[in-house]
Order: sequence, then C-alpha cells, then structure tokens
Amino acid sequence: MVIYRDEYRLYNFGPSHPFSPVRLEMLTSLLQALGVWREPLVPQEATREDVLSVHSERLVKRVEAATRGERVPDLEHYGLGTGDTPLFPGMDRAARILVGGTLEGARRILAGEKWVLQLGGGLHHAQYDRSSGFCVYNDLSVAIRHLTRAGLRVAYLDIDVHHGDGVQWIHYEEKEVLTLSFHESGRYLFPGTGHVHEIGRGEGVGRKLNLPLEPFTEDESYLEVFQVLVPWALSTFRPDVLVVQAGADAHFLDPLADLLLTTRAYARIFPLILEYAEAYAGGRVLFTLGGGYSLDATVRIWALLYHVFHGLPLPERLPEGWLREWEARLGNPLTPTLHDPEVPYPEIPRRQEIEKRNRLTLERLTELVRPHLVH
Amino acid sequence: MLVQDVMRFPVVTVEPGVTLEEAYRLLLEKGIRHLPVMGEGRLVGIITDRDIRLATSHLNPKGPCPGCTRVAEVMTQEVVTAHPLDPVEEAARVMRERKIGCLPVLEDGVLVGIVTGIDLLDALLKLTGVTEPSGRLEVRLPDRVGELARLTGFLAGRGINIHSLLSYPENGDRVRAVVRVNTLETHLLAEGLRQEGFEVLWPPKKPW
Repeated sequence: MVIYRDEYRLYNFGPSHPFSPVRLEMLTSLLQALGVWREPLVPQEATREDVLSVHSERLVKRVEAATRGERVPDLEHYGLGTGDTPLFPGMDRAARILVGGTLEGARRILAGEKWVLQLGGGLHHAQYDRSSGFCVYNDLSVAIRHLTRAGLRVAYLDIDVHHGDGVQWIHYEEKEVLTLSFHESGRYLFPGTGHVHEIGRGEGVGRKLNLPLEPFTEDESYLEVFQVLVPWALSTFRPDVLVVQAGADAHFLDPLADLLLTTRAYARIFPLILEYAEAYAGGRVLFTLGGGYSLDATVRIWALLYHVFHGLPLPERLPEGWLREWEARLGNPLTPTLHDPEVPYPEIPRRQEIEKRNRLTLERLTELVRPHLVH
Repeated sequence: MLVQDVMRFPVVTVEPGVTLEEAYRLLLEKGIRHLPVMGEGRLVGIITDRDIRLATSHLNPKGPCPGCTRVAEVMTQEVVTAHPLDPVEEAARVMRERKIGCLPVLEDGVLVGIVTGIDLLDALLKLTGVTEPSGRLEVRLPDRVGELARLTGFLAGRGINIHSLLSYPENGDRVRAVVRVNTLETHLLAEGLRQEGFEVLWPPKKPW
C-alpha cells in the first residue's frame, strides 16, 4: 500500500533550500510517465495530540506561534528560524501533514497491512524539544510510538547519509525500540553524533546501534557491512515490524555528503530490506522517504524503491517526454537511465583502507552491543 | 575552562592512622585510585592504590616496606596541588611534567576538590565534543592577525551559528581551525570559503 497526498509539497522552505518539494513532483510525474503510478491512500493530517506523543508542548507552541507570524524571541534555542530550518507560512500544518502520512502507515500496519510505502516524511533529525536539520516534527517517532503503544516491538532502520539522531534520542531508553542507523561518520558530517558507543541507556541499552561509515565508503563496503549487521541485529531483536527511513543522500551525486553509493547499491539494499522484513520482522515493513538533495539521483532512487516495493521489473531508460520536460524546467541535463553509468566517478585511491576501517567499526559495534542484545 | 569546572567534590579522604588494608578496601569500594590524607583538617599527604601495592608486594625491586601497616608510613608528603581558579591546561601541564595522576584542589588551605587524569579527559571531550547537532569545517589559516576574524566574519555573514571552534598550531606558520556549525550544508560553505581564498581541508572538493 502506498500513502501519499499532494499537500506533502506544502512542506517547503523556499526555492533555494535543498529539502525541495520538487523531488516529490518529479517522482510522482516520473511514475505516472512510466505507467506504474497507482492511486495512493490519502492520509489525514496528524493532530496536535499526535505530535505531542513525542514532542514537548513548548516546542509545538513555538512552531504554532511562528507559523502564525508571531515574533518568538527564543526560536533559535528550539532549532527554528535557522538557515537549515527557516520559518515558512503554514509550517505547523505542513509538518503535521507529513506526520499524518507516516502515522497512517503505522495504523495500516496495525490493521493487518504487511508492506506500506509512505512517499514522504522521514524527518529523523527532529528531537523531543528541538527542530533540527530540515525537520520540524519527527513523523517517524510518532509512528514508532503509535506501534509500541499497541504492544509491538519496533526495529527502525535508517539508511539516510546523516545519523538518525532525533529518532535515536527520543527512544534512547526504550526496550521495545531497536534503532539501527547507517551513516557517514559524524566526525565530519552533520549532526556529529551516531558514534558506535551511543548504544542506549537504561532499558534501552544495547538497542541503539550506529554504524558510522568512512567518507567515500562506496557500494561494495557498504553492502558488506549492511549484510552482516542488519540480519544479525534483527534476528537477535526479533521485532514485530520494521520501520525504514529510506533517505537517498548517500548517493555519489549528493551535494551534502560523501558516501558515494550508486543506484546499483540501492537496487541491492531495497530487496534485502524486504527479505529481512520477511525473515525477521513478521513480514511487516513501513518505508518513509528522507534526505536526498540531488534531484537527479534522489528521484531515480525512490522510483527504484517504488518498483522493488511493487515487484515490478526496473525500467532501463526514463521516458523521453518526462526527461525533456524536467530538463527544460531545471535547466540542466538529467541521467537518461534509471541506473547510473557503469563507471560513474573517478577511482577512489584509499578504497582498501576505507573497507578495513568500516570492518573494524562493525567489529567494535558488535562487541559493544552483543552482551546487551544477546541474552 | 577552570579547574573548578572539572574537579570532583566532595573528596574521599583518609586519616594518617588508617591501616593500609582499610585504605585499599576504600579505594576498591569507591572505584578510585587516589586518597588525599587529612590530618586535623589539613592536607598532610596523598596515597594511591599503586603506593599500597608497592609497599606490600614482593615484586617491588626495593622489596616490600617491612612493618608498614598504616597510611602515614607510605603516603607521599610533598603534595602538588591546584587552585580552583587555575586554568585547566595549567593543571594538565603540571600533571604531565610531574608525571602524577591527580591534583588535590586547595582554597585557603581547605581541600575543596580533586582533579584526576580522567577529569582532564572529560574536559577534552567537552572542548572537542558535539553538544549541538552540527556539521564540521576544517580550515588551514596563515598564522597572522585577522585570519580567524575573516573566517568567523564569513560565517556570520552567511547567518551561520558557530557551536564550537578549536584551533591549534601547525608547522609553525599555520593554524588549523576546526569549526562546528549549525548546518547540514557544509559543502556549500566550503565552496564559498574556497572562493574567498580560504584553504578548506574538510569537507573535500568533489571531482565531479
């Protein structure tokens, strides 16, 4: 089941901001041009109470006031009105619409749906008391909390190139939520957290996993550690449902980060996730979107996800008419095929060293959490 | 950052007349390695877990201390101390030079705290650590007047908030500045800085 509504595009920080609603417009028009678009389920917007299930009243109050155009003096302490998360008219409702989509996904899972793809959301940086990094409200945590309150054990898998810090901190002490984030190391990249030693606190200890990867990791090394860690963590934790933040910004074209994945990695990752959900999470999986700041790459990756999700064969070339229309609109050439070219970028000289470091990080992480996760 | 910002208090202490066995049990029980020794309310010495082990071990090249049973017989009497208002790097330098693991902190002769190597590690983490969601820029600057101001001025002009700034000398004529900024878009900033003639070490320039 796919969840989507056009109002997701109201979540718009302005024309020069990377978190662009154009991504969704391009994606839906591409799927239509390919003839695979099916009518999605249109979700309700989340209520204020839904948001308050994971956020503080004082944060919500400020978002509402700023949305009404009132002057709020301490906005910056709440991560709002910054360069990354500037104010825009109707922000509160726009954010609640995205939350509503992911929450609807959780409700559908509880109603017996096995696979849900929410074509929006994934605002994983928003914290209990602070908006952050393009994320006003945390739709993922609202959905996860809805699932845990219904008695489910939830595993959260985050493949966005940035650490899923908001989701991690909100559930940091919870036993019934496993978070697992693959990201470019916070030594260099925003938000700066997601080190292996962040493994949870109290009842949540050993249930928050982070694999900070070296910059310039590339497909092969990523897939190597992914295929070791995810099945191990999921088979050990045995969740009832898998929630996936499918950010597309680990791609080599992304202007914000340097993990250097290609579409070929994603073509392996998405089916693997579905396999793991079948094998270790009761067959239940809820996908959301997330980051992804190269329009060209992000749209192709999410189109790929849509095809894998529906078991459709992947198209080789993208429709001519669609390409012409969007190249004209964006004023730059687009990759004409779904996949990247065979040799997409120059060779990275430190490859072996990087692979070794990633293996070592995986070892460290496993050593740290094993005593807590296995019992 | 001052000693009073990183020191521990209240301090676990012993009296000179306590037996080595009791002192050692106290160290184990509290999970610590240093005990200031207090006689009549004043600091008269310091004893560590290592002192006690050496005094009672046959492995000590000088042999165990015959007949030593009490703290007073084994403790170090010339104690190196710090003041709460000393800068933390001052404390670090003293501990490094004297090769000692702790500094009792005295104010007007009264023991008000203790600083150990572990507290200095905490201070280091605090100085370099990530307290707010932020990205990281690394810039190499010529070591001369106004260069850092140029860098921070550029960031201010872009509306970027600086969460932390660390700088250290490099090869005598350069300074490396590590800046944590409240944005995901460090690549964009790096580009802007390069156009202004800055040498940006991180994030790197993409060749495509």
